[in-house]
Amino acid sequence: MDAVFLALSHQTRRKILDIVQSMPGSSVADVTKYFDGISRIAVLKHLDVLEAAGLIVSQKVGRRRELFFNAVPIQMIYDRWTTDYSRFWATRALDLKYMIEQQVKNTKP
Amino acid sequence: MTQTKQLVHRVIIKATIQQVWDALTNEGEVLPFFFGSVMHTTGLKPGAQLRMRTPNGKYTGVVGEILEYDPPYRFSHTFRFTNFNDPPCKVTYVLKEVDGGVEFTLISDDVPCGTKTESQMAQGGGFITKVLKSMVETGRPSLGYRLLLMLIRVMPSPAVCKTENWPLDRPL
Repeated sequence: MDAVFLALSHQTRRKILDIVQSMPGSSVADVTKYFDGISRIAVLKHLDVLEAAGLIVSQKVGRRRELFFNAVPIQMIYDRWTTDYSRFWATRALDLKYMIEQQVKNTKP
Repeated sequence: MTQTKQLVHRVIIKATIQQVWDALTNEGEVLPFFFGSVMHTTGLKPGAQLRMRTPNGKYTGVVGEILEYDPPYRFSHTFRFTNFNDPPCKVTYVLKEVDGGVEFTLISDDVPCGTKTESQMAQGGGFITKVLKSMVETGRPSLGYRLLLMLIRVMPSPAVCKTENWPLDRPL
């Protein structure tokens, strides 16, 4: 679990997970395009950390490396600290937060 | 043409590869990780028909055809929910021995985007991976999941899922 928290502790790596989750099968080049001022080498290093934590699964297809987001390590964190009872109330609390924040956003000019 | 996507779920299971394989390919018994269904086939080999039925055999939730059967490493079959009118996708289970256990990977291919099949596969993949791990490591799924299975079992199934619509001896 240390590897998962280490991987999630960096903004760029969380952003990489967002990108790969929304586009399963992305290549390293696809991911690099989303970052200004971050080299391909740096992206590759971040990907190694994410893969070591099991958050990214990659497979070679010819010369291309396809990347996939793996939700299981995050589900394991969730399972460790969440019960059916806390899930119920935490979901309600978050739904309320999202709803109110959306309303505030909509009323702004 | 419908756009499709591939989804991947991976976990390390603390068990032998044979234990994981046996749990995964157990025919004729209730599979807790597969939502309490029972697998029926015309033989565990490529080309065979596969049906996932309720324990009483009355309803069939998933139909497919076996594509690969390579014990204890790889099992792959086509996959279609009988209650959704979506094109079939493909499910592949890959087992690999690693330090500390077995790396279990569930790959769903050709998942039609924006369909009910997609949301079911995204949720179902996590469920199967997790419950299989808990089952093989501890002998049975966690309490929360046993309760969820009971809930699934009492939910009514639509008429289209009736087993007489999906016989094994009629290829898809």
